[in-house]
Amino acid sequence: MMAPLYEFGRFGDGTGLVIAVLLGIAFGWFLEQGGMGNARKLAGQFYFTDLSVLKLMFTAIVTAMLGLFWLSWAGLLDLSRVYVPETFIAPQLVGGLVFGVGFATGGLCPGTSCVAAATGRKDGLALIAGMFAGVFVFGEAFPAIGHFADSTARGAWTLPQAVGLSYGTVVGVMVAVALGAFAGAEWLERRAERPAHRMKIAA
Amino acid sequence: MITDARRRPGIERAFAVAAVVGGVLAVIAGSPTRPTRGSVDVTELARIVEHEEDHVTATELAKWIRDDKRGLRVLDIRADSEFDDFHIPGATRVPLAEIARMPLDSAGTYVLYSEGGTHAAQGWFLLRARGVKNVFFLRGGLYEWLEQVMNPRVASTTPQAERDSIRAITLWFGGKMTVVDSTTTTTTPSALDGELSAPHKSDARETIRKIRRRAC
Repeated sequence: MMAPLYEFGRFGDGTGLVIAVLLGIAFGWFLEQGGMGNARKLAGQFYFTDLSVLKLMFTAIVTAMLGLFWLSWAGLLDLSRVYVPETFIAPQLVGGLVFGVGFATGGLCPGTSCVAAATGRKDGLALIAGMFAGVFVFGEAFPAIGHFADSTARGAWTLPQAVGLSYGTVVGVMVAVALGAFAGAEWLERRAERPAHRMKIAA
Repeated sequence: MITDARRRPGIERAFAVAAVVGGVLAVIAGSPTRPTRGSVDVTELARIVEHEEDHVTATELAKWIRDDKRGLRVLDIRADSEFDDFHIPGATRVPLAEIARMPLDSAGTYVLYSEGGTHAAQGWFLLRARGVKNVFFLRGGLYEWLEQVMNPRVASTTPQAERDSIRAITLWFGGKMTVVDSTTTTTTPSALDGELSAPHKSDARETIRKIRRRAC
């Protein structure tokens, strides 16, 4: 049997939606278990006191990346059928900046705001309302900014294509970067635990 | 947080080691796809080609699609833009290079088509070499599909039953059958007869344009 199962018609749209709901609930559950529904914990990342988000994201990236690479290598997954979101350099830079400001201000990102709302946190609800308002404003403004939103398109652009290295080398480098980031994050967190540093932050 | 009591340094270290091993091996492996080797029984292939068991006619393919033949996969090996313009319903666009490494269902039935027939025939060979038994190609390519399924020209002398069968298929795919006066043509003209040269690309484009307009 070959993955992606949906792409190869192993199940239909209905089953696909049921699976999506189950995966979504599991995703939210584990985010909450990891403390990701807590805006204070997430905001800690921007003060270098708690880098859980960075570690969680990198863990997810490395796990998925190694999984995809080796499943494909074993002939169990057709990588060409895995959706690669398209790249639009300039609009995505601006979007990333807006996203970052929102993340640092609200303490939650879209996924975690849903998690926060699911556990009854009001800031989560407020951010979801903001998210929908943003989608609405973007949609209404699209005639004016659509030209920019479609600019600098690179199509489905992957790192191996961008840097001209083999997939395997990019995987190896990303693992090294992730492990380096983990070590750096732990060092920053240990530093933040030290009383002297705490005083400095408080002051 | 380093004060979290649930943390298990041993397990974390094991995961880190696993990631490093996976990463280093990935660098050595280089590509997530392994080279695909195939082998062919040359005598067997020659026999199949000689007995003309290597291709289907557009009408046969149309019936397979209509009857939802089990395990049928129609592969279009033309360029993306051409595929977007027009393709046989249910077909998947697959570049020829992809045929060499795409995952295959050995029990499935594959039908390949290109614009004419050459590329599809080459793809047929690749799939046979990869061990798929039920592979066929559309000998006249998309031209044949346009001629036989979308815009068939039937002589007025053709028996009614045969005419009805052709019309039914054509209507199913949203095409249009034309009855031609038998005094001017005795047989259905076809690019495959050898009497007519294959239609020009611009002719096919024109036909596609007409079909698209009709669909709108």
